[in-house]
Amino acid sequence: MVTTTQTKELSTWTNVFSTAKGAIYQSDEERCWYVDFAGKVAKFDYRCLLKLKKAVYHVDIEDRLLNSGKSPDVEIIFICACDHTYVLSLLQIIALKEILEGTFVMFELNHIIQDTLYRLPY
Amino acid sequence: MKDLIRIKSLISAEVEALLNQQVKKEAYSSSVYLAMASWCNRNGYDFSSEYFFKQAEEERMHQLKFYKYILDMGGNAISPEVTGIKQEYNSFREVFEEALDQEISVTQSIKNIYARCLKEQDFVTNEFLNWFLKEQREEEYKARRALELFEVIGEEGTGRWQIDKHVGGIKYDSEA
Ligand SMILES: [Fe+2]
Ligand SMILES: [Fe+2]
Repeated sequence: MVTTTQTKELSTWTNVFSTAKGAIYQSDEERCWYVDFAGKVAKFDYRCLLKLKKAVYHVDIEDRLLNSGKSPDVEIIFICACDHTYVLSLLQIIALKEILEGTFVMFELNHIIQDTLYRLPY
Repeated sequence: MKDLIRIKSLISAEVEALLNQQVKKEAYSSSVYLAMASWCNRNGYDFSSEYFFKQAEEERMHQLKFYKYILDMGGNAISPEVTGIKQEYNSFREVFEEALDQEISVTQSIKNIYARCLKEQDFVTNEFLNWFLKEQREEEYKARRALELFEVIGEEGTGRWQIDKHVGGIKYDSEA
């Protein structure tokens, strides 16, 4: 499920990872994430966020840079069953990939912290 | 911040991808064995045909075991596309050589998943995989034994007829 919102409810969201180009927030309450990128804030559930990650990682950036003559410098990130699409330039893809990579590193770190602080000591 | 990913799924995205890859491998194995069953039947090797029909069913069962495990752990099981199944073989012996190759590649693939799980300390999936490690012992033994029949019986005269008959009797019953 993906919906787009205009207002960022920063008070209840946790900033998972951000760069100058955008950010990903987590809402514990709604058990979902908000991706603030390319001029909109889109809500992603667990499955859709994984699909977004897969779609972005799938773009062969190196190949696009080397063979830029053949195809236009736009990538359509269509996420099946999430009724949501991004039309991004190669630079935007690189920026979004950086945000996603950072986000998933933070998820892993958070997982380790949760284990260490709350799950393992008791 | 809640550990939402872990709440949703016991297995990591990487392990999930490897398990889905294995689903596909088992489905592929099943189709390969089915093609072998057809070839053997068409060429008069009825016992071997029956043997491969049974193998095909077992591989289907392996596929479902992986498939359901992924779902039970909160993952997304992907129904695989299976293409490129070879339908013709050059000889009776070639069928069994390729059957062994297929089992070896499955064993290697399961070892690879096991190694990944050890790295992540996903002992739950390791425990699940133990059944398959034991199964591969049997699968490789049977495939190797079938090839051995070509050596000990020989293909001359009524050799192939004898080999076919004995393929029907291959069993692995180690208690170890
Ligand atoms: Fe198998
Ligand atoms: Fe097998």
